[in-house]
Amino acid sequence: MSLIEFFDNHTYRMVFFGTMTIGLVAGALGSFAYLRKQSLISDVSSHAALPGTLLAFLTAVVVLGVDGRNMIGLIIGAVVVGTIAVLFANGVTRTSKIHIDTAMAVALTIFFGAGMLLMRIIANGVFPGKGGIQDYLFGNASVITIADLTTSIIVGSLALVLMLVFWKEFALRTFDPDHSTVLGFRARTIDMLMFTTIVIATVIGVKAVGLVLMVAFVVTPPAAARQWTRTLPGMVALSAVFGALGSGVGAYLSIVLGKVPTGPLIVLTLFAIFLFSLLFSPRRSIITRIVTRARARSALKRELVLEGAAR
Amino acid sequence: MSFVVGTTLLAVVTALACALPGTFVVLRKNSMLVDAISHAVLPGIVVGYFFTHNLDSPLLIIGAALAGLIVMLGSEWLTRTGLLTGDAPQGLIFPALFSAGVILVSLNFANVHLDTHAVLVGDLNLAAWEQLIIGGTSWGPSYLYVMLGVLALNIVFLGAFYSKLKVTTFDAQFATSLGIRTGLVNTAFMFLVSLTVTAAFNAAGAILVIALMIVPPATAYLLSRSLPVMIALTAVIAVAGALAGFWIAYVFNAATSAGMAVFYGLVFVIVLAATRLAQRARQRERRRPRVVAPA
Repeated sequence: MSLIEFFDNHTYRMVFFGTMTIGLVAGALGSFAYLRKQSLISDVSSHAALPGTLLAFLTAVVVLGVDGRNMIGLIIGAVVVGTIAVLFANGVTRTSKIHIDTAMAVALTIFFGAGMLLMRIIANGVFPGKGGIQDYLFGNASVITIADLTTSIIVGSLALVLMLVFWKEFALRTFDPDHSTVLGFRARTIDMLMFTTIVIATVIGVKAVGLVLMVAFVVTPPAAARQWTRTLPGMVALSAVFGALGSGVGAYLSIVLGKVPTGPLIVLTLFAIFLFSLLFSPRRSIITRIVTRARARSALKRELVLEGAAR
Repeated sequence: MSFVVGTTLLAVVTALACALPGTFVVLRKNSMLVDAISHAVLPGIVVGYFFTHNLDSPLLIIGAALAGLIVMLGSEWLTRTGLLTGDAPQGLIFPALFSAGVILVSLNFANVHLDTHAVLVGDLNLAAWEQLIIGGTSWGPSYLYVMLGVLALNIVFLGAFYSKLKVTTFDAQFATSLGIRTGLVNTAFMFLVSLTVTAAFNAAGAILVIALMIVPPATAYLLSRSLPVMIALTAVIAVAGALAGFWIAYVFNAATSAGMAVFYGLVFVIVLAATRLAQRARQRERRRPRVVAPA
């Protein structure tokens, strides 16, 4: 398939640009989750997006009596409930001796379990427009509409703007939390803002790639970008590029190959970018380290031999 | 044995089989690894099916458990390279493995017809459907006996390696200095966890497996100060939660696995709130000035 044919097709275009937007936003904001050593928080928020979306759907249909598939409404529901789940996990760690990984696992089961209960209620009941709501579980990139794309661009840009406006606060809180508190920044407010942006980055992709795989969009690009750069701006930018690039290439491949689902193929593409970075990055990578060690060893050996000869 | 009794027994045995190793998973700060393993077993099942062509084969469980082990060893290796921080290594490997599994299924590799949805959500009632019938009488769901086997394996392993597990969990460096092969103990334990997750997966689905393995030990952890007490409490909470959760889901006609998972979560939240309140009350007690009686 030629590139012209590819971009001539409406569905292909939607899949391509839709997934690239998701990859870009998730890659940029995932950097902060990575640097705070809480990458898996995105897994909690993507699972909590399910009850959020379903609650928003039920509210729209039952209470307001409007079309339940309004993308903005669903995203707001998912972001609100996702943020509550993340704050719950962090709150449990702060107030008890439970470690963060356990708190995240508990939050994940409560919220995802609630989502599955709601799913059963919706499946058994009669609600207008309930079709396609199960796409949120596994994602379906081929159903991205123009409205979906514009919504994710708008909401994603909002999250990126938040990140740029609070750049200094986010950076300080990430690298030196005590210093940021001493300077008078409210730790909880910054945390809430930061986690909300991460939740937004996770949530906008759930419909297209599914809640199980969304975690890869948030974790993999920053982990790859970290191997190439030493500065925060560099890392965020490169991570966004990796996210967009991996999504674009993965989406293109999945369409050209046919039959292969888009989300999983993007995840494998991102993973390949990560493996390449881990092995071959010139500054910090496995191969660089082997070469440096070998050089140091031979230099030491040479020195010792010379010393021995001088004696 | 009637269907409801059989299914309840299956729920209780599965809960115990998961919660006992879960105690050490929580103490080792590996809770999210259970989530990772539960997703990574998919390619293991597909590849296992390629070799066995039998969805009931026990080899399938072992293949899936090996896939779970890949997540754990792979993320440990990535952490050891020192090039990655935090919990990213786990988050890198399991989505990749899950993706590989989904692609294998969609390409119709090995002609396996798996409903990925059913694999993830799971249904206790479905797992209890097939009954073991000996001599014309029903002996309960046949999967009950698989889970009883897993439970027995867990009890034997934990009993035999209790002291080694304890010392590697609380002080890995000290354990190494004693001459205990920490890596080997870790790998063996994680293989057991992986095996349990895979076996329980069939009965409960991914979400309930995480709930069963993590939430009862986490709740017990809030209430206990020593390991034996924590293990005993874990067992009690797991069994009571399975009975109550199953019954509530049954009465309200809700999805069994999801209902039980949410019920365990609520128990955790209530215990957390109660311990917080008790702590506050104790602090207030301490702060109150002693009233000295007038002479």
